[in-house]
Amino acid sequence: MTETLIETETGSAEETVALGRTLAGQFHPPCLVLLEGELGSGKTTLAKGIVAGLGAAREEDVTSPSFTLVHEYAGREKVYHLDLYRIEGARDIATLGLDDLLEDQATVIIEWADRLGRRLPGPHVRIRLEHRDGDRRRITVERDRG
Amino acid sequence: MLILGIESSCDETAAAVVADGDRILSNVVASQALTHEKYGGVVPELASREHLRKITPVVDEACRQAGTGLCQVDAIAVTEGPGLIGSLLVGLTYAKATALALNKPFIGVNHLEGHIHAVLLQNRSERRAGTAEAEARFPNVTLVVSGGHTCLFRVETIERDGCPRFSYRRLGQTRDDAAGEAFDKVAKLLALGYPGGPVIDRLASSGNSRAVDFGRVRLKGNPLDFSFSGLKTAVLYRLRGTDLQIEASERRAWLSSRREQGRAVSPQELRERCSQATVDLVASFQAAVVDDLVGRTLAAAEQEGVECIFVSGGVACNSLLRRHFAEAAQRTGLPVLFPSPALSTDNAAMIAAAGYFKLRAGECADRSLTAHASFPLGA
Repeated sequence: MTETLIETETGSAEETVALGRTLAGQFHPPCLVLLEGELGSGKTTLAKGIVAGLGAAREEDVTSPSFTLVHEYAGREKVYHLDLYRIEGARDIATLGLDDLLEDQATVIIEWADRLGRRLPGPHVRIRLEHRDGDRRRITVERDRG
Repeated sequence: MLILGIESSCDETAAAVVADGDRILSNVVASQALTHEKYGGVVPELASREHLRKITPVVDEACRQAGTGLCQVDAIAVTEGPGLIGSLLVGLTYAKATALALNKPFIGVNHLEGHIHAVLLQNRSERRAGTAEAEARFPNVTLVVSGGHTCLFRVETIERDGCPRFSYRRLGQTRDDAAGEAFDKVAKLLALGYPGGPVIDRLASSGNSRAVDFGRVRLKGNPLDFSFSGLKTAVLYRLRGTDLQIEASERRAWLSSRREQGRAVSPQELRERCSQATVDLVASFQAAVVDDLVGRTLAAAEQEGVECIFVSGGVACNSLLRRHFAEAAQRTGLPVLFPSPALSTDNAAMIAAAGYFKLRAGECADRSLTAHASFPLGA
């Protein structure tokens, strides 16, 4: 069952970060957060807000995990920040050990989550980011109780 | 003293033998670029399998070229992080097992520390050959810039018991994408091939770098931090809904058909498939990245009051970056030192060179040495 939590527009990267901080208050680990949207739509920017809002790391220390695939932030809460940009097949996704990360009572944020296809482990929050004019982004947040 | 270095943090399997920290007896790198090319990026599961296949032949070849055997090396230095965990583990486990079996000391090296030592290694070997233009000095400011990293460090040495010990303080880093990652992503957007750095460098040489003004990246907070994700998005906006996008999708189809035929694409063929507007966009993008890297590095050198700058990592091969730093060196009188291209990209000679100083300082690892995907240096 899917319910839409928020449908909004942000006008700048700062507003996107602020939205991430607000959203973080509604996530209770273990929690899976899927970020979808094309290159430059603000996925890492939103992730900065969520991670900072959860008290796991400072906003400026949250960077793109495209290279190492997984960044781990452990402060007040534990967050795993994944990026499937370079991931191709289902077998590669299996090597990420998603189930193990969720068992860790952590919040797991996944960029380029559309590459997971239909293989979703239980309840999750899905956030879609779309380009609007200039720095504006349309952001839709849905919760799926699995 | 002979050190065997092993590096497998990303998509290169590398081994090298270095004598006394500055004589490179061998430096073998097996690149996986071809394996990853069709994906436009590194595929981790493929990377670790390729490392497994290559590690033994690469180490054997490094020993053969150095005219030595594993029994003759004095110690083994290996990259412990940061990097892809599956890739790191292949090199680390191999190094540890070999060292334990031969009862030799082994040393864990931070990959970024390796890149810093690549500059020193280059300078020391040039000085021995009498070809060095300047002497590497400390404290200095080092820019490490690659596909996975964009960091500024202050590097110091203190001499203790006749042996230099190095210390590192991170002054700034990227807040989003690494510079090399931005090159890869822009190359992917424009369908120019992989890896993006060398392709863009070549194409940009025939483009007008002032055609598109991307403006300066302004950041709140630490002025020595970097940000490249906005630049990537700006390129996307220049592309969307224009002829450039149609051109890119035609090029994408052409590149993939050539790949299926197993025929390599020459730089000239690629150039012929690019309009002048595309080449100008690429040249302007590259100039914006280079300006930002050079500007913040010079600001760091001024802030820290150092007398020397090191630049290392894969993006240090970029010809515009080298040229702009050379001009800055002329203007300011501050020497800017680079490794050779072979020592700029990932290699094991830099790991062996860093390991040499750690061994002399008595900083050996024990059996608990393990790989770390995230492994900050000097934070």
